[in-house]
Amino acid sequence: MAAVFYISSAVAVVATLLTITCRNAIHALLYLIVSLLAVAIDFFVMGAPFVAALELIIYAGAIMVLFIFVVMMLNMGEHAGETALDVFKPRAWAGPSLLALVLLAEIAALVSRQSAPLSGVEISSKQVGVALFGPYVIGVELASLLLTAGLLGAYHLGRKAVTREDEVHGIDTRQSRAVTGDPVVSAGAGRSSHAA
Amino acid sequence: MTASDLVALSPLILLSATALVVMLSIAIRRHHGASATLALLGLAASFASLRWAASVTPRQVTGLLLIDGYTLFYWGVLLALAAAVVLLAYSYLEHQTGHQEEFYCLMLLATAGGLVLVASSHMASLFLGFEILSVSLYALIAYLHLQRLPLEAGVKYLVLAATSSAFLLFGMALLYSETGSMQLATLARFYMGAPNAALGAAGWAGTVLMLTGIGFKLAVVPFHLWTPDVYQGAPLPTTALVATISKGSVFALLLRWFHPAGSLAGTPVWWAFVIMAAASMLAGNLLALRQNNVKRLLAYSSIAHMGYLMVAFVAAGPLAVQAATYYLLAYVITILGAFGIMSVLCSGEEECCELEDYRGLFWQRPVLAAMFSAMLLSLAGIPLTAGFLGKFYVMAAGASSALWLLLFVLVASSTIGLYYYLRVLVVLFSSLPEDHVKVMLPRGRVPAGAGFSLAVLVILLFVFGLYPAPLWDLIRGISAGIG
Repeated sequence: MAAVFYISSAVAVVATLLTITCRNAIHALLYLIVSLLAVAIDFFVMGAPFVAALELIIYAGAIMVLFIFVVMMLNMGEHAGETALDVFKPRAWAGPSLLALVLLAEIAALVSRQSAPLSGVEISSKQVGVALFGPYVIGVELASLLLTAGLLGAYHLGRKAVTREDEVHGIDTRQSRAVTGDPVVSAGAGRSSHAA
Repeated sequence: MTASDLVALSPLILLSATALVVMLSIAIRRHHGASATLALLGLAASFASLRWAASVTPRQVTGLLLIDGYTLFYWGVLLALAAAVVLLAYSYLEHQTGHQEEFYCLMLLATAGGLVLVASSHMASLFLGFEILSVSLYALIAYLHLQRLPLEAGVKYLVLAATSSAFLLFGMALLYSETGSMQLATLARFYMGAPNAALGAAGWAGTVLMLTGIGFKLAVVPFHLWTPDVYQGAPLPTTALVATISKGSVFALLLRWFHPAGSLAGTPVWWAFVIMAAASMLAGNLLALRQNNVKRLLAYSSIAHMGYLMVAFVAAGPLAVQAATYYLLAYVITILGAFGIMSVLCSGEEECCELEDYRGLFWQRPVLAAMFSAMLLSLAGIPLTAGFLGKFYVMAAGASSALWLLLFVLVASSTIGLYYYLRVLVVLFSSLPEDHVKVMLPRGRVPAGAGFSLAVLVILLFVFGLYPAPLWDLIRGISAGIG
């Protein structure tokens, strides 16, 4: 178990380093997904399967949204099709796939051999729920306030951008590129609340 | 959760409910005045319920929040500040195009975040309060997002605040792995050097990372780089919010849990605080010298003021807590007044914050110019104002702990600071240029709400400067339990 933990940690570190050094946004996103998967395996090995599942569900969803933003917003114009096709070149997927294969081998090893979690106890989803709605109930309520703030902010900052985009759409490339600043900001505001 | 817990939390619950009510009222029908009125009523109800909450305090509510006299005092201050910001924002937003109503909603949420921060006794509530405040501020800073500067300021704040939150979170993780507890009281015991409680390398690293996150919010050197840009870019009511509620609540939290109480003196972390204090005082005042934009000038001066506050913070004993609280109160009143006057003066969509815009203001708007002068004199620490007494108490606290080097820096940098405050004053009272065409505010009345809040702030400024005894006794009462 300890070996699995350290290998997936190493994968997470390598993938994260590549995420922040990649110059192509789509390549970086692929590495980010691998990094999150590796962290999920870490959580699983530590004895927190529920958190591991959340990591997959929430972050996979968030990353997909980011993916769409990158493809649709940052590369407007004639290059959009090429960028989308870029994902299918080996240069884009070879690295992330290699790291993902390491993780897959780890999962295979985990499934084939049942063993106790590293921390000794396994935290079930029921225990998480009991903690959240017992001693941490105020925390849950506060998180809802946080989401409200994020939602309102994203609504306010994003709403005008749409109407303005309609006005200037197709008039001037430089102008429409300037407009794309707004959706990115609202995406950021929404994302940070999501991640929290 | 018992009924008494809910009573103790009633100010926070009422405030959050108000934010939701304002949001729903926007969904039903948009009306600027109605939203502002609802926000004010909610703040008033929340303020009134402080008395009710006081009947069941001190009380620890579910491990996350600690409601005692100190908490309620700061809650009252934050709620009053928020009410003043609502009044000022109303007159400011009237001149702006686009939706105005969401501002109140976000502002109430930011205030709720501040309330949570002040009350938090657990890392989870600390972080949630921190984030509620930050996320509301992202949107509030970029509120006028069709203009270039607010948008730029919003993005800068988003990136930097998110990074600082990451630092804070990582620091918490390290401290938790070291101490095995997320209670701030347990953490404080480790700093106080209780028996069987010593921090290892990971614990100190976590402490430094947490201080990075907190230092960012307070904008002390070396985490101050965002301040001038955000202050300049944000709409004036938001700037006032950042300068008062955001900084005030974070400092209140720091003061309660991380006040060294003398036992830290001489340790590396204590030296880090001392260096941050000295660097903030010097850098803030020196950088403010050559600013020609009043907002940027006040931003740099706020860095210096946080440095003065840190002097009281590193001093030992109960006097230090009282001095820091008094200074903080004097500072937030003054800076809110200064930004309030600027927001009243800025009619139309354009803000006039260049120093030249204020040339000869006294001959056009004598009352507002006099108020602005009072605020600037208080910031400079001239006698008769609250700012002077605040600085006096900080000096007393520092002297009682024999922090001579820091006090020397304080005196020297305050003297430097005088120069740029007086520079603004000179501009205010100099004669109008011949070709003067730009009139700051069309002749007429200051909006009633904004005028009222400004009048109250000026009165408080002089009351706390001339007759501090009642406030001082109140602060002594609430800070008896801590520090």
